[in-house]
Amino acid sequence: MNWLFEPGLFANQSVRTALLVGAVVAVVSGVVGIFTVLRGQSFAGHALTDVAMAGGAGAFLAGVAPLVGFVGGGVVGAGAMDVIGVQRVKGRDIATGVVLGAATGLAALFLYLSATQSAATGTTQLILFGSIFTVQSSTLPAVVALSAVVLATLAIIGRPLLLSSLNLELASARGVRLRAIGFVFMVILAVSVGLSAIIIGSILSTALLIGPPASALKLVTRFGAGVVLAVVLGVLATLLGIVLAYDSYYWTSSHRALPVSFFVVVVVVVEFTLASLVQRRRRSKAPVPARAAVHGDPIGWH
Amino acid sequence: MIERRRSPRRWRCAVLVSAVAVTALTLSACGTASPNAAGRVQAVGAENQYANVISQIGGKYVQVSAIMSNPSTDPHSFEVSTSVARSIASAQLVVQNGLGYDEFMNQLESASPTTSRDVIDVQSVVGLANDTKNPHLWYDPSAMDKTAVKIEKDLSKIAPSHERYFATRLNAFRISMLHLANVVADFRHQFAGAKVATTEPVADYLLRDLGLDNVTPFRFQADVMNGVDPSPEDIALQQSFSTSHVVKVFCYNAQVSSTVTESLRSLAEKSGVPVVAFYETMPTPGYDYQSWMRAEIAALTKALTTNTSTKEL
Repeated sequence: MNWLFEPGLFANQSVRTALLVGAVVAVVSGVVGIFTVLRGQSFAGHALTDVAMAGGAGAFLAGVAPLVGFVGGGVVGAGAMDVIGVQRVKGRDIATGVVLGAATGLAALFLYLSATQSAATGTTQLILFGSIFTVQSSTLPAVVALSAVVLATLAIIGRPLLLSSLNLELASARGVRLRAIGFVFMVILAVSVGLSAIIIGSILSTALLIGPPASALKLVTRFGAGVVLAVVLGVLATLLGIVLAYDSYYWTSSHRALPVSFFVVVVVVVEFTLASLVQRRRRSKAPVPARAAVHGDPIGWH
Repeated sequence: MIERRRSPRRWRCAVLVSAVAVTALTLSACGTASPNAAGRVQAVGAENQYANVISQIGGKYVQVSAIMSNPSTDPHSFEVSTSVARSIASAQLVVQNGLGYDEFMNQLESASPTTSRDVIDVQSVVGLANDTKNPHLWYDPSAMDKTAVKIEKDLSKIAPSHERYFATRLNAFRISMLHLANVVADFRHQFAGAKVATTEPVADYLLRDLGLDNVTPFRFQADVMNGVDPSPEDIALQQSFSTSHVVKVFCYNAQVSSTVTESLRSLAEKSGVPVVAFYETMPTPGYDYQSWMRAEIAALTKALTTNTSTKEL
């Protein structure tokens, strides 16, 4: 087993914390990600990562834990996008783009200030690309609590949210309050992005949010199966990324370890590529695609 | 190694410098630098420890300014302002560290080219190759001594009428450096071979001269210096130095900190390993270069003899 689990892996405090935090965050990311992909809000998700980046950098400057800034920033950004009009499909990309630009500008200022005005080293690296091995174990309760809130909220609004994600007219005919549901989802999305920012950094957290669900939706059609598979793929990518980063210390004689975020993204991309290949093979075997299912019951809703 | 380490910052510097260069050009168009009314030599030290040595040699005939002197910031992530560009544009003597530590100096100097500016690069004075991994040359007293000799030589060239004055002051400086060398030798005699851990290579040259055994892998120190995450293996190794009492002193860089270095420092304190703070730039006020170095050595002595921490100089 030494080819995967190098000596001291599970005895290492940093690794243990990383694996726990990583697994919890990947579960949330997978579930939230499925809805994000179905709602076509990947771009909004990416904009929220930039707001999380500004929040994280601001938190660093203020001497607060990065997680507080990542999540807080994201939630403020979700509010701003709602105000500007992210709900209307037509102006959605513009609202998202405006918030994204403003947030990135703010992040540039905060990162400049923390680099030049403080003794802190590596702030930019930590905010942008994550620093899971430096997360203190005292952060774990906060991560678990936030994750529980996100999953509980999703359990409550899941049905109307899914309906509004798939068919706006039908949802509104059934009395779903689209705007309220949409806003709650944006907040959930912001929290989820903030959580994954502590693992792979703010600008890469989209990879964990979109990658595993997108792969899952290529492989299964039922919604429930999609959620489960997205969670499995996300957790796999995160844990494997952490283990590979730990192992990379032993790959060279100079013990030059490589960053976790790189490995997580590698696994996510490999998963997506494999899923695409499987999907293509299935399609070529069945010349009539599952088109009929779109009119029927594509996600096992009924 | 140094080239690779510096490249992102160099890129950032390049952008800034191009902005600064425009300003500098505008300024130089307004009239070339004239020596100030009192006829003093205008000098700049890229770091305040070099500025301090310039003023110890130059005395009343030199007006010295330092660019990096804030003890609560990380000089590795310094960014240039227009006032810095201005002081370099008008300087007759510049002392800089080299080895990529103050790369922006080269850029600012070439932004306002002049034949009347003399630049002393400590890396060249000592004769170190560009791939030297530890840039903190001022923690090597012999490097500082050589630099002082060079400063005196160049000042005498810029202001030949004060040659005797500069020579006398250099003598005084070198006598006090001899005293520092004695302090180092005494320390080595008493404590050679004692194991210490470090967070960053800032004081490595001094620790080496003191005969201490720095057990922290350079890889870890370089990661902290360069602002990237150390590997979990190295973090665990560093933790074990404190928890298993492998080291007698935990030396940390008070100007380059991260969650990792902070947690290692508190672990050392909890484990009863005394911690000693080291600085990138000279702590002010109250210190000159020699007394700063002596204070660091005194702090190490206190840690080794009475198990007491010095968390601030």
